[in-house]
Amino acid sequence: MSDRRALVLRLLPLVFVLVLAAAWLVPATDALDLAGDPAAADGFAAALDDLPDAPVVLVGFDPDLGTYAEIRPTVRTALADLLARNARLIVVSLTPEGRALALAELARLARYEANPTRILDLGYVSGAEAALVALARAPVIPSAASGELADGLRDEGIGGVDAVVVIGGNDLGPRTWVEQLQPRIGRVPFLAIAPATLLPELQPYVGGGQLAGLLGTPRDGAAYRASTSLGTLAPIVEADAPPALPILAGMLVAIAILGQAWLARAGTTVGTLGREGRE
Amino acid sequence: MNRPILPLLVVTVGVLLLVDLVVVNPTISDIAAVAVEAVILVGAGAAIAVTASLAWRRAVDLWSRRGDPIGAALVLVGIGAMLVAGLRPGATGASDPWVAWLVGALLVPIAATLFGLLFVTTVVAARRSVASRRRDAFVLMSAALVMLVLLLPIGGQTGGALATAAGWVLAGPVAAVFRGILLGVAILAAVAAARTLLGVGAGDE
Repeated sequence: MSDRRALVLRLLPLVFVLVLAAAWLVPATDALDLAGDPAAADGFAAALDDLPDAPVVLVGFDPDLGTYAEIRPTVRTALADLLARNARLIVVSLTPEGRALALAELARLARYEANPTRILDLGYVSGAEAALVALARAPVIPSAASGELADGLRDEGIGGVDAVVVIGGNDLGPRTWVEQLQPRIGRVPFLAIAPATLLPELQPYVGGGQLAGLLGTPRDGAAYRASTSLGTLAPIVEADAPPALPILAGMLVAIAILGQAWLARAGTTVGTLGREGRE
Repeated sequence: MNRPILPLLVVTVGVLLLVDLVVVNPTISDIAAVAVEAVILVGAGAAIAVTASLAWRRAVDLWSRRGDPIGAALVLVGIGAMLVAGLRPGATGASDPWVAWLVGALLVPIAATLFGLLFVTTVVAARRSVASRRRDAFVLMSAALVMLVLLLPIGGQTGGALATAAGWVLAGPVAAVFRGILLGVAILAAVAAARTLLGVGAGDE
């Protein structure tokens, strides 16, 4: 490989980042539409509409760091949407990774002066599936926690919860919550926000009614974000959610690189088959 | 007859939890609660042991100047900073503002950056796998290319058609294969559990 070609190959990632940055700055256009079919977003919002006034919502916060960027704007919108609906949130994580991200989001909510009496942080509970079973029996509430929300959870346990929202991403995602917690707490609606990689395993739960709502693709998330009305809580949501153009640019670059290798390989295979046919 | 203790214990606890789920009985519920608490404590202990093992191995690497001493030092500094932030006198543990700052300002952005680099490394690895002339890699990358095209964020009729096609692929072939795998794994787990309960081992076949 020549020095010039090696230098070009080394510089390609930098060029790619510059292309993404430039694409980010281009104003949005109707030709590119990240928000697709609103059915999933409408179903999610309808499930929230069906909740009682000032509902108590248990938030299972267990995304993973690798895919959190994909769902983060939607998660922040959902948290703001719940607070805008006067919901009281009980946040719990079953993985250290989920706990770290929950801590970051709770700190962010505190910076935006979200009402602390409406949020109860149960922290990290070890034990994976067993933790969910224990949560259904008797949730461990921090001894320092006080207020109506903590007292209500101490008195009624998890039975006093009006809905469960699971932020998924790793092995202990919405599927585990549905399997382990739903049979133990009765007919409480379960909703989920998850990256697209979990969609194949979660879609059957939507069809079966175990999940009352699922935002499982970037398109669903964008449609939901476009449909929410947050009022005074709008600043909690990311002001610069990812536009469609840099996403399209990244996907086109991936298609070009893979497509070039694919065509080269296909050409070689066809050529080999042709030679063998002639011989 | 081979009766491994660990699988037997796992299956016993599993059956206990299952019975507790379907039968309302205070005694069974109390026994199941003890089992669940034990599992949680074992899980917490294992997590601490893994972290301590990592710290010990990195300390040994640093002391004996082998491997990656800079990386080992950074791991130890990170663990130490988090422990000091959460356990110093007056701290409130994992919810302490110092811990929140370390997580929000350092841990999450650094991890997000590392995962952001995955785009480049994944595309390069995929390209190499296609060039490797392996048939399974070729099929895998062909499917990936099709899905990339179907998921392009394009508006209008073209975008709608692509989204419809992507939905069909998910609801049809992908769902069928995925459910098949799940069913296969569930049947395999049930057979393994039954063999354990009956004490059937490889030597009995």
